[in-house]
Amino acid sequence: MAAQTLSRMVSRVSRDMLRGVSDFGYLIALLGESFYWPVFGPRRKQPVRIEAVFTQMMQIGVEAIPILAVLTMAVGIMLAIQLVNTLELFGVESQVVLAVAKAMTREFGALMTAILLAGRSGSALAARIGSMVVSQEIEALRVMGIDPVRYLVVPAVIAFAIMTPALVVLADAMGIIGGGLFSTGPLNMTMETYIRTSIEVLTVGDVMQGLSKGLVFGILIALVGCSAGFSVRGGAEGVGRATTRAVVLSLTYVIIVDMMFTWFMNV
Amino acid sequence: MPKKTAQPAEYVLEVEDLVVEYGRRRILDGISMNVRAGEIMVIMGGSGSGKSTLLRHLLGLEVPAGGTVRMLGRDVSEMTNTEMDDLRQHVGVSFQSGALFTSMSVGENVALPLRERQNLDDNTIRIMTRLKLELVSLAGFENLMPSQLSGGMIKRAAFARAIVMDPKLVFFDEPSAGLDPVVSAELDELIIKLRDALGTTIIVVTHELESAFRIADRITVLDHGRVLVTDTVDAVRNCQDQRVQDLLNRTPREMKIDADDYLRRLTEEEPEYVD
Amino acid sequence: MSKCEVQDQAGFALVVVEGEVDMSWSNDLRQAILGPLNAGRPCMVDLSAVAYIDSSGIAALVEGYQKAKGAGTFFGLVAVSDAVRSVLELARLDQVFPMYENLEQAEASLS
Repeated sequence: MAAQTLSRMVSRVSRDMLRGVSDFGYLIALLGESFYWPVFGPRRKQPVRIEAVFTQMMQIGVEAIPILAVLTMAVGIMLAIQLVNTLELFGVESQVVLAVAKAMTREFGALMTAILLAGRSGSALAARIGSMVVSQEIEALRVMGIDPVRYLVVPAVIAFAIMTPALVVLADAMGIIGGGLFSTGPLNMTMETYIRTSIEVLTVGDVMQGLSKGLVFGILIALVGCSAGFSVRGGAEGVGRATTRAVVLSLTYVIIVDMMFTWFMNV
Repeated sequence: MPKKTAQPAEYVLEVEDLVVEYGRRRILDGISMNVRAGEIMVIMGGSGSGKSTLLRHLLGLEVPAGGTVRMLGRDVSEMTNTEMDDLRQHVGVSFQSGALFTSMSVGENVALPLRERQNLDDNTIRIMTRLKLELVSLAGFENLMPSQLSGGMIKRAAFARAIVMDPKLVFFDEPSAGLDPVVSAELDELIIKLRDALGTTIIVVTHELESAFRIADRITVLDHGRVLVTDTVDAVRNCQDQRVQDLLNRTPREMKIDADDYLRRLTEEEPEYVD
Repeated sequence: MSKCEVQDQAGFALVVVEGEVDMSWSNDLRQAILGPLNAGRPCMVDLSAVAYIDSSGIAALVEGYQKAKGAGTFFGLVAVSDAVRSVLELARLDQVFPMYENLEQAEASLS
C-alpha cells in the first residue's frame, strides 16, 4: 500500500518535472519567435503592428505609473527606516543616503516593478489569451492565416521589453524620494541635498544593473503570461488557473533570475 | 438551379484514408471523401460521430495519425507554415460559436483578415466590410460589440467574416444550431446564394436534417468515425443502410451489449492518465 | 491577362478592365477610376471582358460612384459581363449603379 502511494507520488513528481521542462522549452521557443517575427514577418506578409505594440505599452506602462509610484515610495521609506536604525548602531547613519540609493537602483526598483507587472499585466495577458483559447478565437486567427504568436505575443513582448526598464527608472526615483521623506529628519538634511547626494553617489553601473534586470524581467513576465494563456484547457476555470499560474511562475522565475544576476554582477 | 456545379474533375478538397487517434481511442477510422469545386457538401452525423474532429483536421488545426488531406490541390501535411497561412487566404471558416473577437466591434472583426493579411486602402476595406455585412443583413451593426449581439447575429457576423476575403472554399460548422427556424432558413438561403453567385465551394458540418436536405448537393454521413455513405440528397434519402435510416428517422441507437466488455468497463480501475 | 487601361474619350474617361479582378491588383483599378474623377471628369468602366471580380474590385466601383456623386460628375458601368452582374446582384448593387448595354448608350445618357 505504502509502496503504491510512493510510486504514485514519484510518478506525479516526475510528470510535473517533465511538464516544467516542456513549459520552459515552450518559453524558449516563444522567445525565439519574438525575435523572428519583427525581422521576417514583413517578408511573410505578416508584419508586427506598431499600433498593437503601442496599445500594449499604454496598458502595461502608462497605466501602471500611479500604483508603481506609491509602491516604490513606500519601499523607499521602509528601507530608510530600517537602515537608519541599523546604521545608527555603528554611528554611520549618514550612509543611509548611499545605501538607499544603491539598494533601490540595483535591486528594489527592478524587483518591485517586476512584482507589480507580474501581478497586473502578466496575469492580464494570460487571462486574455486564455479566454481567447476557450472561445476558439485563437483557432479563428489560425484559420485566417494570422499567426497567433505574431499577432498576440510579439507586440506584448516588445511592449514589456520597452516599458519595464522605463518603469524601473521611475521606481528608482520614487524609491529614493521615499527614502528622503523619512531620513531627511534624522539626518538633518534638506530634501534637495539628499537628492543631490544620492545622484552623486550613484554610478552608471548601479543604474544599468537595475535597468538590465528590468529588461530581462519584463520579457520573462510577458513570455510566461502568454505561454500560460496558450496552455489553457477546459473553460473559464482553466483561465483562472492559468492566470494564477502565470503570476506564481513569473514571480518564481523573476526572483531566481534576480538572484543569479546579483550573484554574477557582484560576487 | 445549380449553375456552377458541373466541374466533376476538379476537386477542391480530397481526403484519403484519414485516421485520427486520441490515446487508445480511434476517433476517425479511414475517412475518404472528395468535394468538387462549386459544390455544397454537407457532412452529417450525430454527436460522437467524429464530425467535429474531421472538421478540425480538414482545417489543418491538428495533425492526423494517418492519411492525407489535400486542400485546393495542396497536401496540407507537406506545407510549411508560410504556405499554409497563404493558402488560408482562400479558405473561410465560420465556427459554431462564432469565435468573434470579443475585444473588437463587429466591423473590426469582419475587417480583420483584410487588415492583417492584405495591403488594401482603408476606404476599400471599409466598403468590403460593409458589403459583407449588408449581405448577412447586419448593416448598421458595425459598431456593436459581440457581447451586444443575439445568437443569430453572432452567427451571421461570423459568416460575414468567413467570406470577407471572397474565399474559394468556405467551412460552416453547425450554421443553424441554436437558431430559430426563420433565421436558420435565411442562413441556408445565403449559403446557396453565395455558391450560385460566386461559385464558392461550401462545406457544412451539421446534425440538422432539414437544413442539410435544403442546401446540400451531396451529403456525407458519418457514424462512429466512418463514412456510411457519400451521395446526392435523393440517394441518401433512399439509402438502404440501416444506420443511415436510423439517423434520418432519428431512431435511438440499438445498444448491443457484450457482457464481458460491459463488465470490464464498469469495474476496470482508472489507468494513470498521462497527457 | 488581367489589367485595366484608361482611354480618353470625348467628354469622359473610359476605364477598360480585362481578366480577373482580385485583391492583388484591385488597387490599380481603384486608382484608374479615381484619377479622372478627382480631376472632375466623368468616368465609365467597361466590364465586358471581366471574367471574375472580387469584392475589393466591387469596392473600387462603389468608391468611384460615391466620389462622382460628391463631385457632381458622372460614373457608370458599360457592358457588364455575366460574371460581374451576378456579383453585383448578390450585393444588390445592380439597383444602384447606372449600367449601360454599350458605349453608345452611355454616351447618349451623358449628353
